[in-house]
Amino acid sequence: MLRFLVRRTLGAVVILFLLSIVAFLLFFGVPRDPALLMCGKTCNPDSIANIHHVLGLDKSIPEQYWIFLHNLVLGSDQFAQGPCPAPCFGYSYHTNEQVWETLMDRLPTTFSLTLGGAVCFLIVGLGTGLLAAWRRGTLIDKAATGGAMVLSSMQIYFLGPLALAVLVYQTHWFDKPAYNEFTQDPASWFTGLIIPWVVLSTIFAAQYTRMARSSMIEQLQEEHVRTARAKGMSRRYVFFRYAWRGSLIPIVTIFGIDLGSLLGGAIITETTFSLPGLGQLAVQSVFFSDLPLLLGVMLFSATMILLFNIIVDAAYAFIDPRVRLS
Amino acid sequence: MTSPIDIEGGGASVVVDGEPGPETKSEAVKLEGRSPGQLMWMRFKRDRTGVISAYVVGFFFLIGLLAPLISKLYGKDPYTVYADERPELFDSAGVPVQPNGGISSEFWFGLEPGNGYDVFTKLIYGIRTSLMISVAVTVAVVVTGILLGVTAGYLGGKADYIIGRVIDFLLAFPAQLFFIASMPVVVSLFVSPRDETPTYVRVVALILVQWFLGWMGLGRILRGTALALREREFIEAAKVSGASPWRIIRKEILPNIVTPLLVQSTYLLPGFVTAEAGLSFLGVGIVEPTPDWGQMFSKASTELVMQNDITYMFFPGISMIIFVVAFNLLGDSVRDAFDPKTAR
Repeated sequence: MLRFLVRRTLGAVVILFLLSIVAFLLFFGVPRDPALLMCGKTCNPDSIANIHHVLGLDKSIPEQYWIFLHNLVLGSDQFAQGPCPAPCFGYSYHTNEQVWETLMDRLPTTFSLTLGGAVCFLIVGLGTGLLAAWRRGTLIDKAATGGAMVLSSMQIYFLGPLALAVLVYQTHWFDKPAYNEFTQDPASWFTGLIIPWVVLSTIFAAQYTRMARSSMIEQLQEEHVRTARAKGMSRRYVFFRYAWRGSLIPIVTIFGIDLGSLLGGAIITETTFSLPGLGQLAVQSVFFSDLPLLLGVMLFSATMILLFNIIVDAAYAFIDPRVRLS
Repeated sequence: MTSPIDIEGGGASVVVDGEPGPETKSEAVKLEGRSPGQLMWMRFKRDRTGVISAYVVGFFFLIGLLAPLISKLYGKDPYTVYADERPELFDSAGVPVQPNGGISSEFWFGLEPGNGYDVFTKLIYGIRTSLMISVAVTVAVVVTGILLGVTAGYLGGKADYIIGRVIDFLLAFPAQLFFIASMPVVVSLFVSPRDETPTYVRVVALILVQWFLGWMGLGRILRGTALALREREFIEAAKVSGASPWRIIRKEILPNIVTPLLVQSTYLLPGFVTAEAGLSFLGVGIVEPTPDWGQMFSKASTELVMQNDITYMFFPGISMIIFVVAFNLLGDSVRDAFDPKTAR
């Protein structure tokens, strides 16, 4: 187990390193000059050169990359804005705030969105899927399968504005979605996020319903399940003791991947509902050519994806004793 | 993907675009036995859901193909700004005066709030743009998937290792974020930032970025299939008789991966359509005035539409749901037709 974790972590670090190089090169591929965006109305070649110097953009790209890596690992106090402790991505060009702090500032929004959404779609999706498999061929099954088919084909950029228009703008039943901190006001935290949760989890739950159903039906046809039934165990016991565990494996995989990518910033959801999370930050960093911020968000999202991949693979060993971590 | 037994497929008698080709029929006259492709076609024809969804999907492609003709018959185009041409149709905020988004016998699907484009032509041209991009991405992804996946699976060893690591690396990319970040870069490869970006450059850029992060899933599946096929007797026989690796891949392996290829590409295409629409929704894909499915969603999510009249929202929304549902059902039917053993 330990060897597995170490090996996978090292692999993840290598991937992150390569990814940071790609992100760096990508940024310098854009001909837009961040200094032009920053210097505003009183722009002349001198002030641009000055900004270049302050940002360190006058150095060569490999040199800049080296400084970036150095700061990331060891931190830096070379910045004009102040000290920058260890996971240092520098200071944002646009807002002049420390990137790591901005990330941590935005994380609770994305985290709340993901957590609430995941709880909803996991319960609803798995529940409906298992119910459909349990009552296979009945009206319930057909309704669940058909509904899931249509709902899983919906897009957040359609369902989200539709929900907003109906629930907020036309009927005024809800306020505009917003993020309020849980620690300060749990009630408004809940009401502010309820529409995004419902929209996000509608689409995801439909996908999980389909997955849970087909995975469960597949499991019920396994030989060990049939043997258990033949031994005289009740259908309920076999369903929840034998088949259910086996059917979890593909679902855990997808759930891990979904969680990882949602935590890295649900870009479309956050844009639709104007929630100030990591996804929105990412879009901003691109539009403002904000290199430190872009690198920060990108590496953070990738870390989330990789982290959850490792967690999923490790979780296999617990769910399925047949899997050896090697 | 470990069981090689289920693999069947008629090779040349199956067309990759998801719709079984008509040449299977003419073959039946000449041949006594039935090829796997014919069997698949017969099973597919019996599947009513599959046939209906194939018609629906075909209908969308037809609309996309014939968009210029349809709009000529209809007498309008998606570029006319009716807010300027016919200001009497709009109120001061730019919302159509008539109820239900200005739907009338003249404007079948109403008028777009704001600029006042004709929604009907906008939609059919939008479908055209989106489908064109997505088909191109699918073709590129299928070619890459075959090349890299089959190479990795069949050759094994070092090639397999390198391609496997590249796949791992690309899978760790935050895809959407990467799309947004790289779109301006790819566009700037073709035009200097001071010039106006022509639409075709944006189209090419969209195809490139989606292709770059789109092929890994298919590549993995094809690698698995090729890996399983490598151990089968007919490959060994070909090897013993002195066939080159290239010939074995072309003549022995390719006809046998048609099944997963066809099934996967029918699942991939709607995914690319929605992803492309998502990018246009975020404002980094196709921009006005070029009509595009996804861009209609970004118009639909403005306060102007949400506050005043939500009719406009339903045209891109419902049409996309129908398209994606039909395509997914078609994918299921194609899979069932090829492999009747899998339970639904």
